[in-house]
Amino acid sequence: MIISVYSIAIAFSLIFLAVIVELVRKNRLQERYSLLWLFFGLTLLILSSTPLFIEKIAVLLDVKYAPSVLFLFGMVFLIIYSLNITVIFSKQAQKITRLNQEIALLKEKLNQEKSEQ
Amino acid sequence: MEKQKVLVIIPAYNEEKSIGAVISAIKEQNGIDVVVINDGSKDCTGKVAANHGARVISLPFNLGIGGAMQTGYMFARDNNYDVAVQVDADGQHNPLYVSRIIEKLNETGCDMVIGSRYVEETSYKSSAARRVGMVFFSWLVFVLTGLRVKDTTSGFRAVNRRVIEYFSESYPVDYPEVDVLVRLHKKGFKVCEEPVEMHERQGGKSSITPLKSIYYMVKVSIALLINSLRSGEIS
Repeated sequence: MIISVYSIAIAFSLIFLAVIVELVRKNRLQERYSLLWLFFGLTLLILSSTPLFIEKIAVLLDVKYAPSVLFLFGMVFLIIYSLNITVIFSKQAQKITRLNQEIALLKEKLNQEKSEQ
Repeated sequence: MEKQKVLVIIPAYNEEKSIGAVISAIKEQNGIDVVVINDGSKDCTGKVAANHGARVISLPFNLGIGGAMQTGYMFARDNNYDVAVQVDADGQHNPLYVSRIIEKLNETGCDMVIGSRYVEETSYKSSAARRVGMVFFSWLVFVLTGLRVKDTTSGFRAVNRRVIEYFSESYPVDYPEVDVLVRLHKKGFKVCEEPVEMHERQGGKSSITPLKSIYYMVKVSIALLINSLRSGEIS
C-alpha cells in the first residue's frame, strides 16, 4: 500500500493541533503565541484534506508536483514565524534591559540610604 | 543663579586598572559628583570606584555601553542633575577638560557638547584605519543631517537637562555615539564640538578589534540610515 503525502499531512496536522492545544492547556504555551501555530495547523489540515484545491493552486503557479505546494506553504510560514519570534524577543530584550537598569538604580539607592543611617 | 548640579557618568566594564585615577582626577574639580555604572564587570571595578569616592551603580548583568550609559542618564534624571558629562573609564579623556566642555555648554546654549579630538590639531595620534572610519562617519552624519561633526565617535560629551530626560527615555542599545547625533538632530537638539586633548588608553584593552570595527561600521551605518527614515518620532 502506498501512503500518499496527503494522508501523512492530514495525520501530521491533526497530531500537531492536538499538541498545540495540550501545550496551551498546560500553560506551557501562551495563548497569544499559540494563535499563529493554530492557524498553521488548521491551514495545513484544510490543504491536505482537499487535494483538489492544492492541485488547482499548483496549476496556477505552474508547479509540476502538486504536494510541493504544501512544502512551499510550510516554508513561507516558517520564515514569517521566525521573523515574528525575533520581533517578540527584541521586545523582551528591551524590557529586560529596563528591569536590569531599574534594579541597579534601586540597589544603589538602598545602599546609599543604609550608609546614611 | 543657583549652582548647577553636575554629574559625571563613567560606564565601566573591567576597568579596575584605570578607573581609580580617572575618578580622582575628576573629584579634584570641586562640586562635581561622579557615578560609575559598573556594567557587570568581572574584576574589582566596582570596589575600586567606590574606594575612590564615586557612587557606584552595579548592573546585575552586562548590558553593553548603550544600556549602561542610559542607566547613568536615568540616575541623573532621578537625582535632578542639570548637566551630565560622560567620560570613558580607560583614561583616554583628560578630566581637566570636563569643566571646559561644561562651560561651552552653558555659554553657547548647545544641548550637547562633544569633546573632540579633531577640531584642532591636538597631540592625539590615531591609526590610519581609525581615521578612515572617522572621516566616513563625519561624512555620513553630514549627509544625513547637514551637521559638521569632526569627532563623531568621541565618548566625551556633556549634555543639559533636556537631553538627560530624552536619553533616559530613549538611547541606542549598542554603538550609540554616532547614532545619538542623528537622533538629537531629528529631535531638534543642538550639538556642538569643543577641542580636547586625548590620551592613549591607560589600562585594560579597547573593545574594538579589526573584525569588530568592520562590523561596527556596517552596523552603525545601517542604524543611521534606518534612523533617518523614521519620521520625526524616534522612541
